[in-house]
Amino acid sequence: MSIYLPIAEMPVNGLLILLLSGLVGFVSGLTGVGGGFIITPLLLFLGIPPAAAVATQASQIAATSASGLMAQTRRASVDWRMGLLLTIGGVIGSTLGVSLFSSLLAAGQIDIFINLLFVVFLGGIGSLMLYESFTAIRGGAAQARSPLTRASRTIAHRLPFLMRFPRSGLYISVIPPLALGVGVGVLAAIMGIGGAFILAPAMIYLLRMPTNVVVGTMQLQVFVTAAVVTILQASITQKVDILLAALLITGGVVGAQFGARFGARLPAEQLRAVLAVIVLITGMKLLWDMVAPPDELYLITGVL
Amino acid sequence: MRLAAFLCAALAAPTLALAQQTTPESAPVEPPTILEVPQADAPVIRSAPRAPRRPRPRAEEASPAANLPAAVTEEDIAVTSDYRGFNVTVFGVNPDRLGRGDIVVALRGPKQTVSVRRKMRFLGLWVNGPPVRFTEAPSFLAVVSARPLRDVANNQAIWALGLDAAAAPRLDGPTPPGADPSDYRRAFSRLRRQSGLFVENPRGLQKLESGLFVTHVRIPAYAPIGQYAADVYLFRGGRLISSRSNRVLVSRQGVERTIHDFAVRLPLVYGLATVLLAIAAGWSASVLLRRR
Repeated sequence: MSIYLPIAEMPVNGLLILLLSGLVGFVSGLTGVGGGFIITPLLLFLGIPPAAAVATQASQIAATSASGLMAQTRRASVDWRMGLLLTIGGVIGSTLGVSLFSSLLAAGQIDIFINLLFVVFLGGIGSLMLYESFTAIRGGAAQARSPLTRASRTIAHRLPFLMRFPRSGLYISVIPPLALGVGVGVLAAIMGIGGAFILAPAMIYLLRMPTNVVVGTMQLQVFVTAAVVTILQASITQKVDILLAALLITGGVVGAQFGARFGARLPAEQLRAVLAVIVLITGMKLLWDMVAPPDELYLITGVL
Repeated sequence: MRLAAFLCAALAAPTLALAQQTTPESAPVEPPTILEVPQADAPVIRSAPRAPRRPRPRAEEASPAANLPAAVTEEDIAVTSDYRGFNVTVFGVNPDRLGRGDIVVALRGPKQTVSVRRKMRFLGLWVNGPPVRFTEAPSFLAVVSARPLRDVANNQAIWALGLDAAAAPRLDGPTPPGADPSDYRRAFSRLRRQSGLFVENPRGLQKLESGLFVTHVRIPAYAPIGQYAADVYLFRGGRLISSRSNRVLVSRQGVERTIHDFAVRLPLVYGLATVLLAIAAGWSASVLLRRR
């Protein structure tokens, strides 16, 4: 099923895109790890221009996080006040990110920059996931740790502009949530990812939020940031391909449902370990491509 | 259909009468004129960028079209959602009644401004070096002849007519210190060849009876959308005798066009629509999930 993408200006196999995004959606439904940082490299590998891949990917993240946010709202597990602060940061960060993205595009360094970020984050997430799944497989030692450390004070308690967050039972400075939102927003705009893998640990370990509100609150931030990135990319770089978005959204949303349903029956920790290994190998391959002497020294960039 | 009619007519009528019939707007029979090609220092492609800029003769202004009757079967190519590229058929008649000379067909895509960069090592990583800018770089170029182009046309003509992807782009702006623009020019040609956007086919031109020639040139699906030109040249003794240019328009149609126009004219609304699509998909997934 060949479909010509009107904005990316190339034909793709529609079934292949549906299958890939469905598979990634399945894996993220299964393991709880977001799909953005897997889908974007896959799209680049299929030959879709980086600008179109990153810009379009944001809309897929908006779809999956919207679905998650609605489910979490029904369970009343969203800290709206904290979510609002993270979201304000996210909107500022993504605005900065989109303008950084277009200036890197103009400077002809966007591919290097995206690759470098992916090497850093794929390496980091892969190692972290591998470590966590091994400790979980060996006997749930990790479970005992997080509630134990919750009472201790972090930098979030010492900074000025303190605010009360009744839903999370916190009295902390507004600066860390805002800064976290900005940082994740910049990454979301440049890399075409949601940023859940940075937000979740930061909210637990840095802000000391209770784990039951982390996922819902995070999804509020991810949804609004992804929506803003989509609109900004559509207005500034004009690289959002709505046909590609429809394929990615359909595959991702359907895949995530199946993943969540099968998740209970499958050994999720072992799957996480396998996924971690795949993520690490991808990161190492990207690093190798940047370090090894290239076969072709020249490249054509910046058709502006 | 057009080709069939053309072939029938060509086989029935004398060649010169045919020329008038298919190109009624053009001047009647004239002896083939020799095009003005600058007789300078006989440049080779390699040293081309250092040579001074010289006027590049445009086919339509340089030569009366009647000298070389040629046409394309499809002047408007519609890019729809199932577009997978297109085969353009270029056909015509060699006006030389003795059949002397060689026909060369060049299908050119819209011109672009490109930057060619050389990777360099920076803190152990290979990063993109400073750019060498070229204007008028063909986004697509296919050159078809019946025998190798270098046997047909001299270097000067190849350079002047831009029959090689390395020859067509014009150097624009300063070059980085220590960089030789001709290296970048060759790299442009090589990279375009690798990605299938520069095609040379020295056997692709078919010669039929009565000086008729025909060739099929493939525009791949990944070649850019825009105004193409199918330029036909007649060479004899390495020099250009006459030429003719036909326009081929590759444009989005139907849904593809609607979406593209929407994205370009109302970018903000388009972005909002994409987000609404995402919310609708997420909402329906959430509802479906709750039912189970």
